[in-house]
Amino acid sequence: MAELLIENLHKQFGPVRAVDDVNIRVADGEFVTLLGPSGCGKSTTLGAIAGLDQPTSGRIRVGSKTYFDGDKGIFLPPEARNCGLVFQSYALWPHMTVYDNVVFPLTLRKVSSADRKRRVAECLALVEMERFQNRYPHELSGGQQQRVALARTLVYQPEILLLDEPLSNLDAKLRDRARTWLAELRTRLGLTTIYVTHDQVEALALSDRIVVMNGGRISQIGTPQDIYERPADSFVADFIGTTNFLAGNVVEAPRANGQTLVSLADGQRVTIQSARRPALGDKVTFAYRPEQMRIATDNETATDGTIVNAAVMSHSYVGGRWQIGLDVGGNQIRIETQAATTDRRLRLWLPLTGGILFTEQAHAQSH
Amino acid sequence: MSPDPGGAQTAAIADALPTPLPGRDTAVQYGMALLTVILVAAPLIPVLYQSLLDRALYDAGQQFTLGNFGRLFQTNGFGLVVWNTVVFATLTTVISQTLGTLAAVLFGRTDMPAARLFGELFLWPIYLSALVLSFGWYTIYGPAGYLTLLTQDIFGDAPWNLYTLPGMAMIAGVSQAPVAYIYCMSSATITDPSLEEAARVAGAGTLRTLWRITLPLLLPAITYSAVLNFTVGLELLAIPLVFGDPAGITVLTTFLYNNGVASARPDHGLVATAAVLMLIVVCVLVWLQGRLLGNTRRFVTLGGKATRPRPFRLNRLRWPLCLVSAIYILATVVAPIGVLVLRSFTSLLSPMAPLAEVLTLGNFTSMLEYPVYLRSIWNSFLVSAVGGVLATAMIALIAIIVLRSDFRWRGPLHYVALFPRAVPGVVAGIGFFYAFALVPGLGSLRNTIWILIIAFTMHYIPVGLGAVAPMLMQMSPDLDRAARVQGSDWWTASRRIVLPLMRPALVACFIILFITFFKEYTTAIFLFAPGSEVIGTTLLQAWTQGEVGLVSALATVQVLVIGICVTAARAIFGVKLYG
Repeated sequence: MAELLIENLHKQFGPVRAVDDVNIRVADGEFVTLLGPSGCGKSTTLGAIAGLDQPTSGRIRVGSKTYFDGDKGIFLPPEARNCGLVFQSYALWPHMTVYDNVVFPLTLRKVSSADRKRRVAECLALVEMERFQNRYPHELSGGQQQRVALARTLVYQPEILLLDEPLSNLDAKLRDRARTWLAELRTRLGLTTIYVTHDQVEALALSDRIVVMNGGRISQIGTPQDIYERPADSFVADFIGTTNFLAGNVVEAPRANGQTLVSLADGQRVTIQSARRPALGDKVTFAYRPEQMRIATDNETATDGTIVNAAVMSHSYVGGRWQIGLDVGGNQIRIETQAATTDRRLRLWLPLTGGILFTEQAHAQSH
Repeated sequence: MSPDPGGAQTAAIADALPTPLPGRDTAVQYGMALLTVILVAAPLIPVLYQSLLDRALYDAGQQFTLGNFGRLFQTNGFGLVVWNTVVFATLTTVISQTLGTLAAVLFGRTDMPAARLFGELFLWPIYLSALVLSFGWYTIYGPAGYLTLLTQDIFGDAPWNLYTLPGMAMIAGVSQAPVAYIYCMSSATITDPSLEEAARVAGAGTLRTLWRITLPLLLPAITYSAVLNFTVGLELLAIPLVFGDPAGITVLTTFLYNNGVASARPDHGLVATAAVLMLIVVCVLVWLQGRLLGNTRRFVTLGGKATRPRPFRLNRLRWPLCLVSAIYILATVVAPIGVLVLRSFTSLLSPMAPLAEVLTLGNFTSMLEYPVYLRSIWNSFLVSAVGGVLATAMIALIAIIVLRSDFRWRGPLHYVALFPRAVPGVVAGIGFFYAFALVPGLGSLRNTIWILIIAFTMHYIPVGLGAVAPMLMQMSPDLDRAARVQGSDWWTASRRIVLPLMRPALVACFIILFITFFKEYTTAIFLFAPGSEVIGTTLLQAWTQGEVGLVSALATVQVLVIGICVTAARAIFGVKLYG
């Protein structure tokens, strides 16, 4: 177990910058998730840590051991790193039994045969697979294969644990169970872990910290709560959870209490309180989670927020709730309600605080 | 047991990373690359060298010269040799492509009765050597052949003559038609059947669909296999040797054979120069094959699903076409082989002599009496088994280095390993002959079967790679990466994970090489010596001595062994034995 340090990591594939100046510091025992859409560079970063991909430049260090240093020309081959990697495909060797799969890394390390037996048994017990040690991988279900792959990685006590979308090959129900189980296991083991996923639910549920990546760059690093409640840019806001964006112009410079008056494309005005302070005339985007908005009652006057007029574009039943598509000043947004609505137009309440304001520049950059 | 990892954790502190032997991966990779380069260059460099020398390469006082090229083109009749070669290869290609394409459509895509059986029989010439097929055709259609005599008896004259360029091309075309057939079939089975169904739905009838949709989609397969068959036509030695030589028709391969092996005082400068010429032409053709294969994307027939397209309905033509196919298969494959086998059990085969009176085991008993026959059978087994194992091992290593390592020169190594495709068997034979004459210390190997094993291995590396590479490319790279991450070096991961998983492909590779080595004669004819004969060389020798009975007996042995191997391989391992 050790601290992981990634500095100025670059990986160039021809003209494409797959990883572009990535800096991450993972503390000893910390569980960090690399989150992003496919092609964001998260798997390439993981491959660089494991030694499967050679980066173009930068440094990777685990504990006191330098894995990669572009300037000094150091590149440790994967076998010299002592990383544990669980592949998305599990990569269990189909010609070996579960026992043979798990004992392989111990045989490489010349562990005595008594110790080998004991440790394989312990590890299989840890993943609750001890009854299956004589089975072949193809005789196991996806979830069982995943556990064996994990046991095979844990058995040799790697310095850091790398997990590459380990749940993505499981069906939805199994994935929920495996996630809970993984969360329990990680608290018990306390291994330094890098977890790669494109699933925000997994990321939020498991991580100490999340690294959101986009186009090879890091968009934001923070705790799950940080990422969800205070996204650094509209890409992060959009990627984590369902987010509704409203675009407008600042028509009144922020007051001392942080309140800004913004005009939407159709002239409706919204007051929003934000830590970020735009200048008069700036184009801005502000984001609300669906649960932050509600339909205003007929005679309601705005308190702690703004009421705007919206046109109903669609409504669909999604089981227990209705999802209503609205057009607010040219912005398409979605809210959820308990009751169906037959109105063609309705009034929408937007909160004064809690919405997140981005200047247009940041918004454009991330898309 | 409590699922507490604490025990494992404390024990783990003692774990050191495995310490693989430093540089072992590098040693294996560079060693193998070096071996491959030496093996592939061994026959080529001496031939090139000799073509630029004014006298034999083992004589003293050689001078570099370009005179050989001039001399070759002034050689009497060389123009005719080139012309014959081109005509023979062209006719062969036309015949094989026509037969192969027709067969692919008829056997693969229609509801003709017994189509599958015909398809299987159609492939047989590719399993047997062209040499054996030639003897078969001779026994039945030759000047004293069974059917020739019968026809002459009835009509006074037989309308065919195998001792002409079209006659030879007919045999070669039949023996190469399976290549066109296989390429068309594999193209047809991956064609999206909805392409044809769309035409049907749009109102096109059977013939129009066939002509406008099916055949155009087969075009890349036909073109590619045409270039392949043209190349084979240039390289073919057996048929021109058996039928062309007696009639005074010389092609490039028989020119090389007659001036290089059969001649008492060989003109090495001339032989090597002709070999270089042939090498250049074939290189260009192989390059063309690569280009054609690279461009096939234009004809996208990959629908992905392995659904079998709906067969075309022949209706009234079902039985007539079945009859025609049966006659064709009987006349070109079954009868020649059958009569050849029958000939081996008779003292003489003629419509004039009643079969019961000529039946004998004499051919086989005299085959057993002469040590040279027994020795060549035994040597063929040795070369095929030992050579097959060694070549498979070498090919497996080349494949994992090229496809599964970060070896710096893996691209060039792949290129070198595939280069023997462009080296005709006769050129490889001449080249190794020179190489063993040139390099001191190798003389002791010269009269042993090792020279054959080495030459065959070099010549068939690409065939073996073709059998091994697809499986290796389908195997997930995560499997060996997982072993690497866990601490095994490349060589351990290869030994423990990749090679064991490749076992089915390696078995297939071995069987293919066994059969190929067993029937090989072209390269061997330049290299064998008393003591290291194989079936192919003995067949040719016995043939020139006019021992037709012994030839048929020996050919029967070869047919039998190959037949057993092919059947067993297909039944037990499901091995695909071509492609």
